[in-house]
Amino acid sequence: MRIKGFAIATLVPIVSILIAVAAAPPFAPTPASATPGFARQTGISCQACHTVFPELTPFGRKFKLNAYVFTNVKQIEATDEQSQRTLSLSDLPPVSVMLQASNTTLARGVPDAGVAGDLSKKNDTEFPQALSLFYTGKISDNLGAFLQLTWEPSSNAVGIDNSDLRFADHANFDSIGIPDFIYGLSLNNNPTSQDVWNSTPAWGFPFLTSSVGVPSVTAALIDGQLAQESVGLSAYLFLFNHLYVEFGGYRSAQTSFTNTTTGGPGPLDSTAPEVRIAGVAAPYWRLAWEQDWDNHALSFGTYGISTKVHQPGIGESGPTSRLTDVALDAQYQYITDAHIVSATATWIHEFRKFNNVGLADHAHDWLDTARLTGTYFFKRKIGGSVQLFSTTGSRDRTLYCSPDTFATAPSPACPGADTGTPSQLLGSANGKPTTQGAVFEIDYLPWLNTKIGLQYTAYDTFNGRRHNYDGFGRNASQNNLLYVYIWTAF
Amino acid sequence: MKATVMYAVAGGLMLVSALAEAQQKSTPPDLVTRVCSTCHGPRGISISPMFPNLAAQQPVYLETQLKAFRDRSRADPHAQAFMWGMAAQLTDATITEIAAYYAAQPPAPGKSAGRDETTAGKKIFEEGIPAQQVPPCQSCHGDKAAGNGPFPRLAGQQRSYLERQLAAFISNARANEIMHANAKDLTALQISQIAAFLSAQ
Repeated sequence: MRIKGFAIATLVPIVSILIAVAAAPPFAPTPASATPGFARQTGISCQACHTVFPELTPFGRKFKLNAYVFTNVKQIEATDEQSQRTLSLSDLPPVSVMLQASNTTLARGVPDAGVAGDLSKKNDTEFPQALSLFYTGKISDNLGAFLQLTWEPSSNAVGIDNSDLRFADHANFDSIGIPDFIYGLSLNNNPTSQDVWNSTPAWGFPFLTSSVGVPSVTAALIDGQLAQESVGLSAYLFLFNHLYVEFGGYRSAQTSFTNTTTGGPGPLDSTAPEVRIAGVAAPYWRLAWEQDWDNHALSFGTYGISTKVHQPGIGESGPTSRLTDVALDAQYQYITDAHIVSATATWIHEFRKFNNVGLADHAHDWLDTARLTGTYFFKRKIGGSVQLFSTTGSRDRTLYCSPDTFATAPSPACPGADTGTPSQLLGSANGKPTTQGAVFEIDYLPWLNTKIGLQYTAYDTFNGRRHNYDGFGRNASQNNLLYVYIWTAF
Repeated sequence: MKATVMYAVAGGLMLVSALAEAQQKSTPPDLVTRVCSTCHGPRGISISPMFPNLAAQQPVYLETQLKAFRDRSRADPHAQAFMWGMAAQLTDATITEIAAYYAAQPPAPGKSAGRDETTAGKKIFEEGIPAQQVPPCQSCHGDKAAGNGPFPRLAGQQRSYLERQLAAFISNARANEIMHANAKDLTALQISQIAAFLSAQ
């Protein structure tokens, strides 16, 4: 997910494409939210909080908004002389383990890093794709956490995955007509990971994707580009049981980057292959309305972020670009024991303003991302989803790594820019970011905490074209992929 | 004079105690605000037909059920999935407090249903079905279906909840000898008619 867009910048060209595709990010975690740790703490089965994991029910949303603190296990407690509780810790820790294993088959192979000109890399089996350890639950009376450590063989690294440390409490202003409401603070490492609806990027469908698919040339900042590489603090209110208001700020976090001079851990520098937030913090906002009636839950809202960034390949002292994402989202759920129907939609418009000389053709570009997903499950056992996705935007041959630009002045953010050799697969020959297609998925859950999925991603257009999109003869449909996985948490 | 002061003090105390009681009825216990209300609503009118209304329910019945969830003797599927965990650490005092609070809330208004089915449901409720050994529901649940002590209020209850409970009595998923005997010969249509009538009250 994070190797899309600007993140491809420092990848070495051609022969390392497969490595680039599989392992470029220092750490590329996969999302997961259903955790048996919560079930251990609450004594409540998965279906209270999830339709089918990781999608949340209205109760699951409340549980998260209340900072994961609701508990039904014995507590170790302490109180001070004023009878204020100073400790309330679960007798047994709400820990759990998650395992994902998968097999991916690409419609057409991609270059083998070891053999020049070879196009044989087509199939990849990962056991595990990811192995995670969770602490998910109450820390004290109003404090809870969703903490995830993940090891991925594709990067052979253990790293912090989606994580959320959260404080929440209740208050009311009955005298001015505001009944009991929830207020809280979330410290997290992925914008929208703190969100409670599944129509925003961090917890949106597809919940699990192959780590070896070919990434498209670009993605909006809020659409995963800051995942696990930023740290955000935000404050939220949930009023009248309907209205959600959140405001916060994100900074770039140091991940696994080293200081190239000292060799030790160091501040983020221009070797970081990721887009970095410039300045104090990037403001993040979220506003949503939820309406529940009978077995139905409907929500709609807006979210976004706006910030100056340092692009990959351009040092901290270089000029910054401004990215502003304005997004709309909606979700509908129909939940009964027998039938579950859900639909989500999101649309992200990104304004891009470039001050960097040579990064892009234009000072102003735009990018639109839209996704529309429908899901049905029968008795939480068997079901399927269909998603239509679309990315469109202004034409920019330099920004989107058209091979034409390599003869003169390739963008420093493009793979191969350092050697002047354009990459196969990753660039856009016509300089358009258009990537459109559909994801089809069938799932079977023999148990509530185990999902077996068969997912097919079909591209109609990839990086601007249906045929020969990269200028090296690659067609969009050759990036189609069949992905089979098992995902279990216990 | 002394007597007047005593009456005044006694009256004052009674007033304070009445006010405190009123306050207790209108201010939900903390657990209700933070947990129960998520499904059953802050005033006991549930947010989804998956979950029963608790407003104006008989306090004795509520206490019995919470204790049955706690000791796991009530074991229908939703009780297992949701309420076993919820009730696991409840103390008797908390159970009494929650039950008293929800019992004191005004009942849920009835939801309209088809005229034919409510008429048929009313007949079963009032007269039973002698040919199937189904006694009239009102003999235990009261002529207004408001319940009585251990017999729960049924009026204004969520229709699909009532249907699920009758099915659970029949299958013994919710073990209750009396209700199993009463309900075992009901047809799906009759269950639907009874539930329609009761949810409309």
